[in-house]
Amino acid sequence: MNFLNTAILVGLAAGAIPLIIHLFHKSRFKVVKWGATHLLSTVVRTNQKRIKIEQWILLAIRTAIPILLALMMARPMWHAGSGLLGDRPTATVVLLDNSYSMEAGRAGTSHFSLARDETMRLVGGLKPGSESYVYLMGEETGVLDEPTRDLTRLTRTLAKAGSGYGMARVPAAIEQVTGTMDQMTEGIRQVIVLTDFQRVSFPITEDKALGQALERLKNLPVRPTITLWNVGGDARENVAVESLDFSKLMVGVGQKVQIRANLRNYGDNPRPDLRVVMKVDGREQSTTQVALGAKAQSQVLFSHVFDRAGSHVVEIATEADAVSGDNSMLASIPVRDRLGVLLVDGAPGAAPDDLKSETGFAQIALSPFAAGKVEQADLIETKVVDAANLTTNHIADAAVVVLANVATLSEATLAALEQFVDRGGGLLVFTGDRCDPAWWNGAFAKLAPLPLGARTGEPGDTAPTMGVLGQRFEHPALEMFNDPRNGSLSDFALKAWFRFKSPEVTGKPDDPVVMARLGNGDPFLVEKPFGKGRVIACATALDSDWSNLPARPSYLPVVQRLCTALASTVNPPRNLRVGEPLTFFVPLENVGKPALLTLPDASTVDDTVAGRGDHGVVEYPQTRRPGLYTLVPSDGIPIHCVVNVDRAESDPERLTDSEIQNLAKSHGLQLVRSAEEFKALDKVQRYGRELWQWALIGLLVLLFVELLLQQKFARGGART
Amino acid sequence: MAHVSDFLKPSDLHRISNLQVLARQVVEGFTSGFHRSPHKGHSVEFKQHRQYVQGDEIRRLDWSVFARSDRHYIREYEEETNLRSTIILDRSGSMNYAGSTAGGVSKYEYATKLAACLAYMMVHQADGVGLTTFDTKIRSHIPPRSRVSHLRVILNELEKGKPGGETELGEVFHELEAKLHRRGLLIIISDCFGEVASFLKALAHFRHARHEILVFQIWDRDELEFPFKSWTQFDCMEQEGVKHLLDPAMLRQSYMENLAAFRDSLVRGCRRNNIDLVPFCTDEPYANALAAYMTRRLGRR
Repeated sequence: MNFLNTAILVGLAAGAIPLIIHLFHKSRFKVVKWGATHLLSTVVRTNQKRIKIEQWILLAIRTAIPILLALMMARPMWHAGSGLLGDRPTATVVLLDNSYSMEAGRAGTSHFSLARDETMRLVGGLKPGSESYVYLMGEETGVLDEPTRDLTRLTRTLAKAGSGYGMARVPAAIEQVTGTMDQMTEGIRQVIVLTDFQRVSFPITEDKALGQALERLKNLPVRPTITLWNVGGDARENVAVESLDFSKLMVGVGQKVQIRANLRNYGDNPRPDLRVVMKVDGREQSTTQVALGAKAQSQVLFSHVFDRAGSHVVEIATEADAVSGDNSMLASIPVRDRLGVLLVDGAPGAAPDDLKSETGFAQIALSPFAAGKVEQADLIETKVVDAANLTTNHIADAAVVVLANVATLSEATLAALEQFVDRGGGLLVFTGDRCDPAWWNGAFAKLAPLPLGARTGEPGDTAPTMGVLGQRFEHPALEMFNDPRNGSLSDFALKAWFRFKSPEVTGKPDDPVVMARLGNGDPFLVEKPFGKGRVIACATALDSDWSNLPARPSYLPVVQRLCTALASTVNPPRNLRVGEPLTFFVPLENVGKPALLTLPDASTVDDTVAGRGDHGVVEYPQTRRPGLYTLVPSDGIPIHCVVNVDRAESDPERLTDSEIQNLAKSHGLQLVRSAEEFKALDKVQRYGRELWQWALIGLLVLLFVELLLQQKFARGGART
Repeated sequence: MAHVSDFLKPSDLHRISNLQVLARQVVEGFTSGFHRSPHKGHSVEFKQHRQYVQGDEIRRLDWSVFARSDRHYIREYEEETNLRSTIILDRSGSMNYAGSTAGGVSKYEYATKLAACLAYMMVHQADGVGLTTFDTKIRSHIPPRSRVSHLRVILNELEKGKPGGETELGEVFHELEAKLHRRGLLIIISDCFGEVASFLKALAHFRHARHEILVFQIWDRDELEFPFKSWTQFDCMEQEGVKHLLDPAMLRQSYMENLAAFRDSLVRGCRRNNIDLVPFCTDEPYANALAAYMTRRLGRR
């Protein structure tokens, strides 16, 4: 405790005034010769003790009044712990939430712009010589790369910061700035977290991460004060496009592709006529209206036919609400002219399209329109070749090679096949009665996902069958069957199959993966990456000899999706999550030439195409901002990549006030809601807490009590 | 030698003469019904004759007139009150209090003037009036007479006496009771300070002896309102050495309650014994107060 006006403390002596007045009055009494003593005596006798006590109380209160007045005018300051900061410079780290949930707001002003303005004021108002660092939690980067004392530059750069980024992970952000804080030199340190307290940003249920991060921050050699600044409002309305599903993994020119958008209303108000628009390459193609109840989910189905090959962008957008980050979702679709699939028939029939041949059913399933003479385009263009006639030329022309019941291949062919897969081609292998485990486990072992074991079951008509295990499929070729509306693999019945030997789990990325299993646990489909391509092997035959596969409705999508999945791996992924690095493969002729990368905020980056193997590569790792990244290499054919954010951020639910308070309380954090509160808090830390208001309240209370007591003592309470 | 003008101002005397008629009626009020004087002839004075009408008592016929004129006449007499009143004046120390609002008039001075006024009135309507003064015991006793010269005796006594000593109404009244041989009107002029129970008991005693009693209680405004503010030492007027140094504001409330209780017990006791208790305050003219009381009393008849 210290005082701003120490001189006024002399006024404490005024406390003696009431005492002097009391003694003066007592000594300067007047004498009255009194007749009615008998009335007075009894009163004096019964009340003497009480009067004495009351007089002492009144005297004490009256003495306290001038003392309190003097204290109040001396302006006492209270501060806990060590000395006050005064005007000394500080090291300030601000964690600013710029995730897209911060775009919510009121009256046209988003929470983010408010928070950013407050941060600019805060940084601008730091004491001269202070160093500061502002970290954007959604973007996961600092406004400037390192702490600076040039606060003007920091403020200027901060003014350009925007929101709309992915989820703000507060524990991770705190971890991030702990190191930065440790590098700062000023002895007085503070960390200020400006956030909307979205529930996903604060994993308070798994408090450990946040607690540990805070502990590490607090355990720095110079412990900073940590302030949580709640900039969120009570905006609860948000409609999000949660995900897009495509009916095809690989889209061909002239093919009808169905796009299913999953919409979700997080708000409490239903949206009876929500307008949903499909844009392709920025042009509006289709519009529909959907009723979306409060807290409900819904799906919208669009279909589109791409008329030219190349990279296309599909966007599904809803009517704008304040949180614009999830109002639309983009997907980059590479559209192909055709996808060449080479069917290598190990047991050919009379004609290539003979259903008795090993590949007859598969040929129809892969190109159904061509087989049915329908005037619609098949993406997949099949070519059937007997295993005996297979040459390296056949392989070079295809995107996917299917080996059906092939006994052996010549060494040259096998080598060509290995090279084909290594460069990114897809190989799909089906077993059969001609399949030779010795060749498989010998010459073919490099490509084979798993060694082949014994044959199981009999292909006879009455033989017992084995089904495919109904499970959740992770592989993109099969994941459509997770939705029962798309059919099921469990109606497959296998009479005979080869047992794959169990895979050795080494933890390497090229470990074989079991995509689906049979009812007894034997692998049904296994996949192994090989070079840049992949090999998928099936335990049974492609035709109807060993199973009922070709007779089931799921046969067509399984075969088609296995082929397209194998073919689609040629390109590096074009639909990414925030933070994942972008990789563009461009034709070889662009190598060494400039390429222009357009970012979601319309800014551009000039890059040069690097050569790698048989194609050129452009890489761009900074993908914190969601949206469309378009690369135009020198040949002028654009490639689109889309970066989407985790839709968990769309949930506008925030921590409740009591949860926030508990959080602050349990970790010893300060909590503010406005700039005024922060300023008041800062003032207390710098200069201590002024107590004159309390002294004034005390003074008024004492004056009031004195008046009351005097009235009461003079009027009531006396015994007669 | 004391003269009535020493006690009563000419304006008061004028006021009193106006009161005569009033007083007359009031006193009749006291006396009617107990006019049983054994000395009948003294109390009857001829007024007029009037013709006999049926219903008149035969014994009231004037036989000598009948013998002279052979007509029946009734003799009518002026009735006389033959009132014997005794003024009992308190001379105790507490009566010496002169408050700030009374203009220096002590309660005793006020009481003597009231006594003089009453005596004057009584004598002037030919009623007997006596005076007894007392403090702890009876200090003087003048029996009632109705002669005009008797007024001087009373006024002399009033002038002579000075208040002092304690009030002890109960014992004094018992003592006095023995001295009052005949029934009459007792006018007690006192502040009635002292023990209420013994005072009321003594009054009851008087009532038992069939005396009519009027208590004129003399107050000072200070005693009724206790207006003191600053620290004050109250020295007792009746007992030496009894002093109270106090802040009067702190005690006013309880004093007022105590006072109210005291007055209430007096009023109840007097009402129970059918005694008129008339409070007088020294800051209001006694003639006015007396007139007001008498008017009230008349109205009650």
